[in-house]
Amino acid sequence: MHIPDGFLSPAVWATLDFAAVGSVAVAARRAQRELESPDDRRIPLLGVMGAFVFAAQMINFPVGMGTSGHLVGGALLAMTLGPWSASIVMTAILILQAFVFQDGGIVVLGANICNMALAGVLAGYLPYRMWGRGRHRSAAIFLSASASVTVSACLALAELQISGVPMPRHLLWISLGLFVAGGLIEGAVTVTAVHAIERLNPLWVRQPALPGPRVMAVAAIAAAVVVIVGVGIASSLPDALQNLLPGRRTAIAEWSWLHKASAGLAMMLLIYATCAIVGRTVSGRKLARQRSA
Amino acid sequence: MHHVVLERWSRGASVLHTLDARAKLASLLIFLVAVSTTAPASQAAFAAYALLLAAALFASRLPVAGILGRAALVLPFSATFALITWWSGDPMRALSLAEKSFLSGLAVLITMATTPLVQLMGALDSARVPRPLLLVIQFLYRYLFVISEQAQHMRLAARCRQGAGSHGKARFHAAAGAVGVLFARSWERADGIYRAMLARGFTGRFPELLPARFRWRDAVFLCACTTALLAVRLGLAEFHR
Repeated sequence: MHIPDGFLSPAVWATLDFAAVGSVAVAARRAQRELESPDDRRIPLLGVMGAFVFAAQMINFPVGMGTSGHLVGGALLAMTLGPWSASIVMTAILILQAFVFQDGGIVVLGANICNMALAGVLAGYLPYRMWGRGRHRSAAIFLSASASVTVSACLALAELQISGVPMPRHLLWISLGLFVAGGLIEGAVTVTAVHAIERLNPLWVRQPALPGPRVMAVAAIAAAVVVIVGVGIASSLPDALQNLLPGRRTAIAEWSWLHKASAGLAMMLLIYATCAIVGRTVSGRKLARQRSA
Repeated sequence: MHHVVLERWSRGASVLHTLDARAKLASLLIFLVAVSTTAPASQAAFAAYALLLAAALFASRLPVAGILGRAALVLPFSATFALITWWSGDPMRALSLAEKSFLSGLAVLITMATTPLVQLMGALDSARVPRPLLLVIQFLYRYLFVISEQAQHMRLAARCRQGAGSHGKARFHAAAGAVGVLFARSWERADGIYRAMLARGFTGRFPELLPARFRWRDAVFLCACTTALLAVRLGLAEFHR
């Protein structure tokens, strides 16, 4: 979903333009380091893989009921080229689409880059980086690709709403449903495509190392951002809260934004602690069984 | 493929074609910011913007119907949102949404139809856009047609192989296989390109055939555009919050 010019308010696009300029400069420097050698050894590779993403979108995947979907590609690029390089390739695609194909605006380019080339690629890489080893590999690839598309689309919708483009509530639900469906299609397409690529040459898909503390920190920050944004969206939809907690609605609706966000974060910490404790006990029992055997 | 048309248009010889890309890009940015910050109710300002674009279109000697038709590509998207806005009871905003997106798209199209991509890249380079990013864009554009054609051949071949009877799951996996093969061919092509570039002594940037020069007429054009846009923006329009 490429936002055209004229849809975002000046405050929104100016902020996102600044954010995009800084992040792309950092990504360009990191991409060069990611590609092993300091010179322009793999610049042609990035360009040709961008052309590959364009061309791969012509290949139709039948998804039932007579419709077909196609690859979007952010997650696939992140898994093969690495996240920084994937961001650069996606940025190049967006710039070319805005200037040559009249797809997406110029002053809102920063917004589109933030949605698809930065947040979309990050969301399309983190789950793979965390769980991409061992048994749950396919599930991690599926989750990465789905998250990539859904996060980009939700961000675009949120930016339109902040800019004051009115959006009736039922339409909001319909579009959220469509985004999730699009995410599921991208997930299925990416999983089969990654398997096909690995059959040809297993070295083309990067095998994630064990996540270190920095990856964990990025994942934690991303989770916190998702919770805060989610709480913001949920508080703008009081009907859903009312259905969940009849009678309590007024009390929650009167909370300040900060209260809601911290309540969401506290909830997330609680869930994390539960998972950690359950995980410890289970793995502890497994260890004990292995020792006794 | 429709961007070939843009390539042909950008090789013209009008006044706008001969101007420096930096002057055109700067004027385009000022135009887009002016349109974006105009309040929905300032209809007179939108008319003035349209007049300025009409003058540019006339000076560029481009085919008017072709340009307007291509700029209308954005309209299905913005018309959808405009209709939603209309139903929510804000007809003025709905109208301005369609006007803003169409005028902005038209301005970008006129700029790109009078500026070859190489010149645009040169202008972005002097605006300090990271060099690796610009190189990636140029490689992408060069190999877009090659790889797309390969994808089309593969699609045709797949259609020839599979009968009408093959079911969904098999076709899904066949499509995934096609993506995999396309990936492999692209990757190998990139390796070959890199070796060929080394053999020819690539220095990290593409040579420019005609080095761009910022002349007096470019400065005059930029000043005229800025003055006209400032006059419309400050004289006729309210600020859009």
